[in-house]
This record gives sequence, structure tokens and C-alpha cells, in this order.
Amino acid sequence: MSAGPVARAARGGLTRRRVQTFVIGLVLLISTGASVLALAIVVDSNAPFDHAFTAQHGADVAATVNSARATTAQLAATKRLPEVTAAAGPFAEATVTATVPSQPGCNPGPDSSCLIGGPLPPITLAGRAAPGGGVDDLTLQSGHWATQPGQVVLDGSGSGPQLGVPVGTTLTIASAPGKPALTVVGIASSVTGSADGWVLPGQVAALRSAGSPATSELLYRFRSAASAADLSADMAAVRSALPPGTVTGSLSYLAVKTLETGDIAPFVPFLFAFGVIGMVMSVLIVTNVVSGAVVAGYRRIGILKSIGFTPGQVVAAYTGQVSVPAFAGCIGGVLLGNLIARPVLAQTASAYGVGSLSVPLWVDIAVPVVMLCLVGIAALLPAVRAGRLNVVQAIATGRAPRTGRGYAAHRLLGRLRLPRPLTIGLAAPFARPARTSVTMVAILLGAAAVTLAVGLSTSLNMVVEALSHTQTEPVQVAVPGKAGPGGGIIHVQAAHGGGAPGPAGQPPSAAQAQRAIETALRAQPGTLRFVAETDQIVSVAGLSQQAMVTAFRGNASWTGYDIIAGHWYTGPGQVDVPARFLTVTGDAVGDSVTIINGNRQVTARIVGEVFSTSNDGLELITGWKTLASIMPGVTPSQYDVGLRPGTSEVAYIQAVSNRLGPQYPVFPNQRHSHLLQLMVVLIGTLTLLLTVVAGLGVLNTVVLHIRERVHDIGVFKAIGMTPRQTIVMVVCWVAGTGLVAGLIAVPAGMVLHGAVLPAMANAADVGVPANLVNVYHPAEMAGLALAGVVIAVAGALLPASWAAATRTGAALHAE
Amino acid sequence: MPVMDALIQLSEITKRYDNGGHPAVDDVSLTVAPGEAVAVMGPSGSGKSTLLNLIAGLDRPTTGTVTVAGQRIDRLSETGVARFRRQQIGMIFQFFNLLDDLTVADNVLLPAQLAGLRTAMARARTAELLAALRIEQHANAYPARLSGGERQRVAIARALVNRPALLLADEPTGALDTATGEEIGELLLDLNASGQSMVLVTHNPDLAARYASRTIQLVDGRIAADVAAGAAASPGRS
Repeated sequence: MSAGPVARAARGGLTRRRVQTFVIGLVLLISTGASVLALAIVVDSNAPFDHAFTAQHGADVAATVNSARATTAQLAATKRLPEVTAAAGPFAEATVTATVPSQPGCNPGPDSSCLIGGPLPPITLAGRAAPGGGVDDLTLQSGHWATQPGQVVLDGSGSGPQLGVPVGTTLTIASAPGKPALTVVGIASSVTGSADGWVLPGQVAALRSAGSPATSELLYRFRSAASAADLSADMAAVRSALPPGTVTGSLSYLAVKTLETGDIAPFVPFLFAFGVIGMVMSVLIVTNVVSGAVVAGYRRIGILKSIGFTPGQVVAAYTGQVSVPAFAGCIGGVLLGNLIARPVLAQTASAYGVGSLSVPLWVDIAVPVVMLCLVGIAALLPAVRAGRLNVVQAIATGRAPRTGRGYAAHRLLGRLRLPRPLTIGLAAPFARPARTSVTMVAILLGAAAVTLAVGLSTSLNMVVEALSHTQTEPVQVAVPGKAGPGGGIIHVQAAHGGGAPGPAGQPPSAAQAQRAIETALRAQPGTLRFVAETDQIVSVAGLSQQAMVTAFRGNASWTGYDIIAGHWYTGPGQVDVPARFLTVTGDAVGDSVTIINGNRQVTARIVGEVFSTSNDGLELITGWKTLASIMPGVTPSQYDVGLRPGTSEVAYIQAVSNRLGPQYPVFPNQRHSHLLQLMVVLIGTLTLLLTVVAGLGVLNTVVLHIRERVHDIGVFKAIGMTPRQTIVMVVCWVAGTGLVAGLIAVPAGMVLHGAVLPAMANAADVGVPANLVNVYHPAEMAGLALAGVVIAVAGALLPASWAAATRTGAALHAE
Repeated sequence: MPVMDALIQLSEITKRYDNGGHPAVDDVSLTVAPGEAVAVMGPSGSGKSTLLNLIAGLDRPTTGTVTVAGQRIDRLSETGVARFRRQQIGMIFQFFNLLDDLTVADNVLLPAQLAGLRTAMARARTAELLAALRIEQHANAYPARLSGGERQRVAIARALVNRPALLLADEPTGALDTATGEEIGELLLDLNASGQSMVLVTHNPDLAARYASRTIQLVDGRIAADVAAGAAASPGRS
């Protein structure tokens, strides 16, 4: 087969159908871009962890054991269990509280981001002589390993507490007898977060606080570790091999991975949904374009065959018409996908603490190849039909043959008391049911994407509100001298306002501060209610990582935590926790947890699951007495204030600030989630792109229809149809289809929303309150049902204008 | 200045489809009085159909003016010319140009509906025309089921439904056999006898001679002869 004539025929088709060529290119550009973005994020959300896990021989489970309950031999025996493929430890460990000195030259300010000194959150130090080993082979990022007592290597991985303490800093271990000092000599990373820092094994005992139990850490790799169920079975085997109560806590790599990918993983479900929608739409539109080109080009195909084109060459010419714009669109789509992926992947890179992440090369190659294959298959079927056309019949027909369909629709609609151009337009889709169906599906997908996007945006905005409680507690007052849980990198709110309680130049005592704040709040007319709050870092039995207790003094059920399961705590010994806490600990609502602070501990019952992501979801929310039982003398760090309806937030803050003075930061509760904002922007962008694609699909259909009916349009105009009537008729060719598609798209989009939102929440390991899923209101649904019509009309208007502007004489003589 | 009692007044019209090429209609001036039946003849490419399109407002002259029924249609907007056409012009074509997906009655009814005529009146007028043209039995049939002559009768009914001042016919018998062509010719003759003005484009000298009161001969876009029935040929009568 000679390529020259085929290429010339394909080029001729391309230049004759510039609109369709443009549509194919743009559609492929958009869907390839969305697919590259989706796949890159799927890959990059998992790949860094998986690579690091493989490289470091990460532990499937890091188990904390009470060394006093089992002998060294018993602990060693667990390494030989049939389920275990490799193990390390036991490494003695100690949970300590440390303080750091201020960084020289660090001046606190509203935007300061430096080490200003103070207590660090409790950290767990493990005794290891060297960083290497068959399990949890640590990567030294800077400095060196501890070579003598008094030296510590801190964890610098994303799963660690992110202390921000540089090499060379001296830590004072305040919780250990004699308050020994440890110099930070290195920063290392453990992919499975086996500890927050490491010292030489001989030093661990000296770091334990008086009376605290001797605990050790055992690191296991198991034969079957793919799922949480596998790991649970593995750990059951380990537990049963040891005396009861020996294993006091465990941390699986799945929990760590969820923590690490929690920021980026929620992108995957919606990107996947939008990517699939875009891909299906591309295939439908390309099928429509090529089918239309075949139908509209009967005469041309007949001529090509009459001058010697074989059926194969005709097929090649028609697929060639598609492949050129498709190729260009795919290349553009790869560039677009890489461009959009950049800010999203920057979030991932930040989550892993790696410098930068980019779209993997194989994604840049695989996505356009797959898209081109799909387009090729979509183009092939109608092209084969073109190849099989009978020459004489094709030339004699001259233009698309009448199908004979849709006559009844014309007759029925003609009886309606509606303007005739409108009824003629509405009847037109029945003449070409296959094309109408394809167009309807394209519009349906576009409109469903709109419904999904509106739902997701509403849900995500509600998530922001639900997490920040901006509606219920719009104002917060910080207690002077309370910088929240732990120290390290601390952002300090700038002080402002007038006078101050307490001795001049001296910070007020905790009691003075509380009295001053409560008096000021009670005196302020706009105050509806307020509650004192404190956030403290504690240990939880069975949990290797530190958890945060958020305790309220007084009724706090109004503060805005959405309850997913169970109920709000009603008394001492009750806690509410987020979903991730339950995932990581393996607990459920109704179970009990032991909260530990140094030598003190309290057992509390989990009475509810709440919607919260504070401290990565490792949070316990409870009443004051529960916390005070293990932390006597704890004082509030802030007051949460609800305002009376109609109260100006700004005026209220100003008034309270003036009353309290500059030492009391009074600020609006305006926490923003850049991640959620990024999601909303991305969803909006992708929806816009998909609706553009759907609109282009409509435009393509209408252009095909105009080509086929150009002669009829000439007749209509010859007998007196005005340009406006022509536009109405042409727009109505697809408006009815759009309306039907829109009506189907609303429930389809809602079903999609009902699947995607929980998948996003699941990926982020947070529960979803029902009110975040049921976000569609009847009026909104009615509006969304019109999305199909809007897409259809928007797509049809331009070609309708062309039809209206066509010279009647030329149209009458067109074939 | 248009002649006030003329139905059609073409003044020095020229129509070019490309800048350098020969004009399709070249400096033609022509007047048609109400009630006249004018045949336009000429070889292929002589500009007959272009002239008809210019009179119908389907196309615009490059230069010159076109006045029909007292209206300068070359100055009208697309909407204006469409409205003018449906009120004043009826058109019939060689290949009928019926809409295949509409019934005979719907085809005839369509111009009246586009013109906003009340439904009852439009239906009554359609029934009257179908009866007058002896195709009322095909009212609910689709054009594809009809013979060529029947289709042309439907086209004539459609052209007349809005009672146009001018009927334009482009080769109205060109696609018909001789007997059917004669039938259609007689029909046009009857229409003219009842006062219907018409311009018909034809290749057929017999048709022109028998059914037109005046024959215009076009050659290369210019009027080569303008002959009244039974009179000697005279070039460029206006």
C-alpha cells in the first residue's frame, strides 16, 4: 500500500473538517492532561513510601513490649515464629520530655518560624548501637550516629514529630532523674517511624522517669503483611507466644503509610473519577467525529474508491484524519498534565520531606499511548464502514442517505402549539438515534461531572468549617504564656491592644489570666458562650506515637465537632476520638483506652467518633476532669467563644482586645486548609475542562448535523426562515437531548459523589459525617438538571450561528 | 428610480463570485410588471439561476439595486429578507426541495407557520391548495412516496401558501417526464391566468413559448434578448 495517496487524502479530510480536527485535538488534550495528572498522583502518593520501605527494609510492625513481663529468650523466640521473616530488637526505649534552648537571634513575631525554645512534645528514644540492620535500616540524613553517652540522633522523617531541632542543639531531658543533657549529633529517618530518636543502648535506662515501666521495641517483618487483617493475625501470633500483657502497643506500616499519604491520597478518588469521565468522553466524541465524517463524506469516499483506493487505504485515510489531531492533543495533554501536577505534587513532596516530585516518565509515555490506542479503536470501526461502502451507491447518493427515522416524531411534535422551528429542532435527534445517544452520553458525563463537582466543593467547604469550627466558635482568646502542646517551631501571635492585668511588664499568672479573660468575655454583650480549652500531648497504651488530648472545662458540645458515631462525652472517663485514632489503635467506639502522662494514667471509654484531623487524627477529646486526673494543675491554653447572632466579629475582637490589653491575643478563628483549597480549585478546573469537552462534543455533533442538513437549511431559509428561527431550530437539535441528559446526570452525579467522597475520606483516614454527604438540596438539584441544557446550548450556539449566516443560495446548491 | 407599478425592478445589477473572474450576472437591468409570466432562458452558466436568486433575495448583487414589490431587498438584513421572502415570494425548484421528514401537509403548512399565520387559517389554506392541485389524498404521505409530478405540485402548493406576489420557478419541469411536465406547465399557466406574477427559469424553449408572456435570453450574464410572446426579439428591453 502506497502511503502518499493515503496521506494526501487524510490531509484533504483534515483541511475540509477544521472544526472537527480542532475538537479532536482539544478533547484529547484535556482528557490526556487529566489522566496524566490522576495517574501521576496515584503513583507519587505511594511510590516514595514504597521505595523507602523497600530500601530501609521497613518493619511491618513495630511492637512495644513490657520487658518485665517476658524474658529475653521469650522475646527472642518470637523472631522464629513461622509468620516472621525477619526481626530486630528488642531495643530498650524510654519516653521522655525534653526542653530546648532558644535559637540565638530568634525574635518572636506573627510570622516567626524559628526555634524559640521551650518544652518539646514527649518523644520516644530507642537504644540502638548502629543505624543499620536487617529490619528498619535507618538512613542518616545529616550528622553522625551516637558514639558515646549524651548524644542523640533525632528522627527527621515525615512520620516523625517534625521537631525542627537542628544538629548541635542540646536537649535537657526534664522528665529523667537529674535532667541529663543530650546533644543532637545526627538526623536520621525511619520509614516506619520506629522511634522519635535514638541513643546508645546503655543510656536508655538513665533516661526513664522514675517509676516508669521498662519497655522495649521489637521490629518484625512478616510473610503475609499486605492487609490490616494479615498484620492483625501476625501480631496475634506474636502476642500468643508471649506472656499476657507483654505487648503494650504496636504500630503497623499501613498506619504510618496512611499518615504519610493522608495529605495526597484524598486527591486520588476524584482525579480517578474525572480521569475516567474524560477518557470515556474522548472515545465517544472521536467515534462521533469519524462516524460523522464517514456519513457526511459518502460522495468523497465513493470518488476515492472509484479512482483506485482500496478499502484498506480508505480505512487508513479516515483513521489518519483522526490520528494527527489526536497525536497533537495527546502531546499537549502531557504538557498540561505536568503543569497542573506541579503544585499538587509539591504537596506530596512536602509530605515525604523529599525535595521535589515530578510526573514519572513512564506516565508521560503510557497515558498518551493508551489514549491514542483508544482513539484508534474508536476511529477504526466507522473507518472500516467507509472502506466497505459501495462505490456507485456512494457517488450516486452524493450526500448522507436519509435514514427514514424520526418522521413520527416530526408529526407528533408538529401538532404541539409551539413555534415550528422549535418543534422541527426537537424532532431532529430521532433521525439519528445512535449519534443522539452518543451525544447524550457525552452531555450526561459532563453534567454528571458538574453535579459531582458542586457536591464535592460543597462537602469540602463544609469540611473546612467542620474542622475549624469557624461558625460555632468564631473567636478565640489565647491565654498568655500558653503556646499549645509542645515546643519546637512555634509561631507567636503578635500582641496588640491596650492595658494588661498583672504587674506592669510581667506576664499575668495563669489564675490571673483566666479570671481576666472570663471577666472580659462575660462583660462583652456579644458573648453567647465560651469554654476553656487545653491541648496536651500524652501517651496512649497500645499506641507507639504520641496523642493529643483536647480537654474542655465546661460544656463544649456546642463547639462544632461533627459526631460520626456514638455521642459527645457526657462525663469524666469518657472520650471522643477521630477515625484515624480508631484505625491506628484498632479500637472501636465502646472500647476503653488508657491515657498515660508520666507515672499517671487514666482509663477512659471511647463514647464517640468525631470528625477531626488535629494532630493527624491522633486526638482524644474529653472533659477537664479526665485530663486533670493525670495532669494535675493543668490550665487552659485558650478560650473558644461563640457569639450572639448579629454580633460583628471584628467589633467584638476589638472590644475584647481593648478590654484585655496587649498580652492577650484575641483572634478570629480563621483556620484555612490549603490542601482543601487546592482540591476545590482542582475540582473546579477539571469540571470546567470536562464541560468544555462535553460542549465540544455537542459542537461537533451539531456541525455534523449541519453538514448533513445544509441543503434542508437552505430550503428552510428559501421559504422564509429567519436567522433567529434558524438558530432556534439548530439549538433545539440538541437542547432536548441536553435536558434528558441533565435529568439523568443529577442522580448519576449524586451517586458518584456518594462514592467518591467516602473514598476520599477513607484515603485520608477520616470518617464522614452524614451531613457532609447529603449536600444536595432540591433547588440545587433542579438547577443542576439544567446543566445538560446549558452544555448543549453552549455547544450548539456557535454552529447555529454559522447555519444562520450561511448564504441560502450556497446552501441550496450544497451537497 | 424604481418604477412604482413594476413588480420587479433590477437596476444595473452585477454579481461576481470571485474578484478576478467573469461576473455571473453582468450589468443587467430588468423590469417585470404585475401579472406577467417571464421566462428566463440561456445555456448552462449563463446566469439564469443567479438572476433568480438575486430576485428572491437568496443572494445579494455585487453592484446595482434589486427592488421587488416596492422593497429594496438588496438593502435588507438577513432577517428582513427572510420575512420579505415568506410574504412576497414563492419558490419552486427543479428537484422540488421538499423536506423528506415532513408530511405533504406539513411541507405546505411550514411557510405559513414560519410567517406566524394562525394555525386554523394556515390549515384551511393548505387544504384549499392541496385540493386545488389535486393532491389532497396525499396530505399525510411523505414526499418520498410521491411521483415527481405530485412532488412538484406539493412544492407549488408550498410556494403559494402565503399568497406571494411573485412566484419564482427554477426549471420546474426539468426533473419531470414530458407528460408530467406539461401538466405542471398547464398549472403554472392557470396560475398566471388568475393573476399570479411569475418568473421561471428554463432550458425548454417550448415551455417558455407556451407558458410565458415574455422571454428573456441570457448569455454570459447579460441579457441577449427580451421578447414578448408573439413579438420579434429585441435586445435588452427594460
